[in-house]
Amino acid sequence: MKYLAEYRDGTMARGIAAQIRRTATRRWVLMEVCGGQTHTIVKQGLDELLGDSVEMIHGPGCPVCVTPLEQIDKALALAARPDVIFTSFGDMLRVPGSECDLLQIRARGGTVRIVYSPLDALALAARNPEREVVFFAVGFETTAPANAMAVWRARELGIRNFSVLVSHVTVPPAMVALLSDPANRVQGFLAAGHVCTVMGWKEYEPIAAGFKVPIVVTGFEPLDILEGIHLAVRQLEEGRHEVENQYARAVTREGTVPARTLVERVFQLVDRKWRGIGEIPASGLALREEFAEFDAERRFRLGAITVEEPVECRAGAVLRGQLKPHQCPAFGTRCTPEHPLGAPMVSSEGACAAYYNYGRFRTAQPAEAP
Amino acid sequence: MTRTAEFVNGLTCPAPAPPTERIQLGHGSGGKLSAALLKDRFLPHLTNPVLRQLGDAAVVPVFTGEIAISTDTFVVNPVEFPGGNIGSLAVHGTLNDVAMMGAVPRFLSAGFVLEEGLEFAVLDRVIGAMAAAALAAGVPLVTGDTKVVERGKADGLYINTTGIGTLDGPCRPAPHRAANGDAVLVSGPIGAHGMAVMAAREGLGFEAEIESDSATLYPLVARLAGRFGGDVHVLRDPTRGGVASALNEIAAASQCGIVLEEDALPIQGSVAAACEMLGLDPLYVAGEGVMLVILPARHAEAAVADMRSHPLGACAACIGRVVADHPGMVVMRTGIGGTRVVDMLPGDQLPRIC
Amino acid sequence: MCLGIPGRVVEVHDDRGLAMGIVDFGGVRREVCLAYIADRVRPGDYALVHVGFAISRIDEAEARRTFEALREMSQLDELDWLRETADQELREMDARAAT
Repeated sequence: MKYLAEYRDGTMARGIAAQIRRTATRRWVLMEVCGGQTHTIVKQGLDELLGDSVEMIHGPGCPVCVTPLEQIDKALALAARPDVIFTSFGDMLRVPGSECDLLQIRARGGTVRIVYSPLDALALAARNPEREVVFFAVGFETTAPANAMAVWRARELGIRNFSVLVSHVTVPPAMVALLSDPANRVQGFLAAGHVCTVMGWKEYEPIAAGFKVPIVVTGFEPLDILEGIHLAVRQLEEGRHEVENQYARAVTREGTVPARTLVERVFQLVDRKWRGIGEIPASGLALREEFAEFDAERRFRLGAITVEEPVECRAGAVLRGQLKPHQCPAFGTRCTPEHPLGAPMVSSEGACAAYYNYGRFRTAQPAEAP
Repeated sequence: MTRTAEFVNGLTCPAPAPPTERIQLGHGSGGKLSAALLKDRFLPHLTNPVLRQLGDAAVVPVFTGEIAISTDTFVVNPVEFPGGNIGSLAVHGTLNDVAMMGAVPRFLSAGFVLEEGLEFAVLDRVIGAMAAAALAAGVPLVTGDTKVVERGKADGLYINTTGIGTLDGPCRPAPHRAANGDAVLVSGPIGAHGMAVMAAREGLGFEAEIESDSATLYPLVARLAGRFGGDVHVLRDPTRGGVASALNEIAAASQCGIVLEEDALPIQGSVAAACEMLGLDPLYVAGEGVMLVILPARHAEAAVADMRSHPLGACAACIGRVVADHPGMVVMRTGIGGTRVVDMLPGDQLPRIC
Repeated sequence: MCLGIPGRVVEVHDDRGLAMGIVDFGGVRREVCLAYIADRVRPGDYALVHVGFAISRIDEAEARRTFEALREMSQLDELDWLRETADQELREMDARAAT
C-alpha cells in the first residue's frame, strides 16, 4: 500500500537505528504518546534495534485503556436494554467493566454491533426507527471530528433515535500532567501523529518551551518512529527543546481546520478521569448543551456511578512510565489479556497487552545484539 | 481411486425455483414436505447411487487398514461470499481435515439445519456448490440428514459434514511430530477466506477484490505424500485462528519452538490492505485453501517446487523453521529485524480503531 | 491516536449535502466522508482516513521529500556520517566567526 509499505523497509530501518546509536552520547528516555505507536514499536521489535541509546517509555495514548470503568459500566447498562442497539468500535468489546464485558452482554441477548465508522451507527439508526441506537464515542482528538459529524448529521437529518455515550480525552493535558509529576523521567516526546493531523501542533509549543522537552510529531510506521526518535535524540544532544514535525506528509501546524471547527461547535472541554491516572482538568470532551438530546447519559438518565479498581493493578505506574509491564508482579500470571486486572492489559494498544502479546519472548530472553 | 470413481456424483440442472418459495417448518417433519424437499432440492444435485438408495445409513465397501474420520460444523455468516458459500466450504473443510492426516478422502456425509424462511434459491446454490466441490474432489456425498428450526435459530442454515478417508501409505503427519531443524512451509497466500467473509458481512461496508480461497487440498497432499512419505511430519490447514493459532498448537504438541520470517509470508495485496484497514493481523485470519507443511529442512526446496507445480500451490513458500529453543512458543523475525511473539488469541480478533 | 490509513480518492459525490467519496486502499474500496478536506481534494489525491473520515490530504511532495531524506540518512555509513558531522561543525564555526 502506498504511503504505508515503504515506511516498513527493514534495511532503511536498521540504517536509521544505526544513526540513532551514533548520535546518542548517553542514554536518553523518550515517551511515545500514542498506543498505535507503542503497538508498532513492540510488534516490530523496534526497541531491540535501539540498543542502549534510547529507553522508550510507553505513554497513556490508548483511549480504550484510559476510558474510566464508570463509562464502561454505563455502556454495559445501555447495551443490556432491550430497546437499545449498542454500537461500538471493535476495540471496546472485550474491555471488562465491573462485572462483565460487551461480548458477554451480547451472549446474554443484548444487541451489540461493531461498526467501522460512527456514520454507520447513524445509518443503523435511520434503518431501525423503532429501536434506540447508541454509539460508544471513545477516542482522542483524532476521532472527535468523526463523532462530532455523526451528532451534527443526526440533528440535520432529524434522526431522533440516535445518541452517543461520550468518552473523549485530549492529549496535551495528559502530557502536562505527566511532566508535572516529580517522578517523571521522560526527557522527550513523540507526539501522536494522527491527533496532530487534526489538531496541528500549536498547542505543544508552550509545553516544549515551558518544560524544556523536545516534542516530535511522529507517524506510526517503523521508519516514522525511528526518524521521530532520531530527531528527538538529536535535539537532546544539541540542547534544543522545540516542536518538530516528522510526519510532514500528513500534518501541518494548523491541522485540519474544518474538523477542529466542528469539534468545537459540538463538544466542550471538561475535566475527565483517566483510568489508571486519575482526574486531569480540561482533558476531556463532552457534548455542548445544545446537543444534549444526543447525549446517551442524559437520554437514558444514567446518573453518576462510582466503581473500585482492582487493588493489585499497577496501571497508574505503567501509564506514567514508572514501571515496565513485565516488572509488575501480576503480569502474565494474575493479569493477562483474557483476565485483565486493569486498563493497559485490556486493549491490544495498551502497553501491558503489547508486551504480553508481542514482547514476552524478549523480556524472557536476553536481547541479541542487532 | 478407481473404485471410488464408480460412486462419483452426477450433476444435473435443478428446476428453477420460484423466488417466493422458502423452507417451512413442515419440511423437517419427516412427512410429505420432507420427502418433497429431498426429491426437489437435494437429489437433483446429488446423484450417486449410494445416496439414492436413501437408506437409513449408507453402505459402502470396506477398505483394509486404518481410516481417518473428521467431522466439522459450518455456521459461517453470511452463507454466500465471494469465492464460495457454506456448502462448498463444508465440503472443502472436512475433506481437508481428512487429508491433513495423510488420508485419502473417500466418503462424505452431510447434516443440515435449515432455518424456517430460507429461500429455496439460496439452498439450491448451496447444494449445487457442495455437489460440485465433492465431484471435483472425486468424493461422493453418500448420506445426509435435514432438520428445520424456527425463524431466527439458524442464520439461514448450518451444515455438518463428516469425512472418512483411508490411510494407505507411510505418510502419517501428526501435530506432535514437528522436530528440531524442520522447515515450516505454507502452500499459498494466507488470510483470504477470513477477509472475504468479513468483506461480505454487512456493516463494515468495504468492497474488496478478495475471494475466499476455499479449496480441496488433497491433490497437494498426494504429491507430498508420494514424494516424501513418512518424512512429512505435520500437515495443518490454518482455518479458525489462522496460521498463528495452528502453529501454536503444533509447537505445544511437539514441545518445540517455531521461528517465522515475516518477509517470507505470502499474502495477497488486497488481503493485506483489508487487514490494515481493520487493524487485523493476517496471521490470525482463516484460510480455507492453504496448508502448513512441516518436514525435514533437506526436503524444503523440493517440497516447495512440488507444490508450486500445481495451481493450488503456486505461491508456496518456506516461512520458517522448527527450533529447540522456547518450546511451545512461536516467534517471528519482523521485516525490521526485530522479534515478536506470535501468541494464541483469547478469542476472535476484533477490528480496531487504534 | 491511531489507525489512519492512506488511500487514493477514486470518486467524489454528495450525500444530502455531505461530501462523500470512494477511497481505494490498495485494492479495497470504501465509502469515506470527505467533508473535512472537501475544499482541497480531487479524485487521484491521497487522503489519510480514520474511522471512515478523511482527516487530511497526504502531501505527496512532502512525502517524497521525507522519504528521500530518510533513505539518504539510512544509507550514511560511518565515514559519511563523520564527514557530515565535521562539515556541520565547520559551518557552525564559520557562523560564529561571522557574528
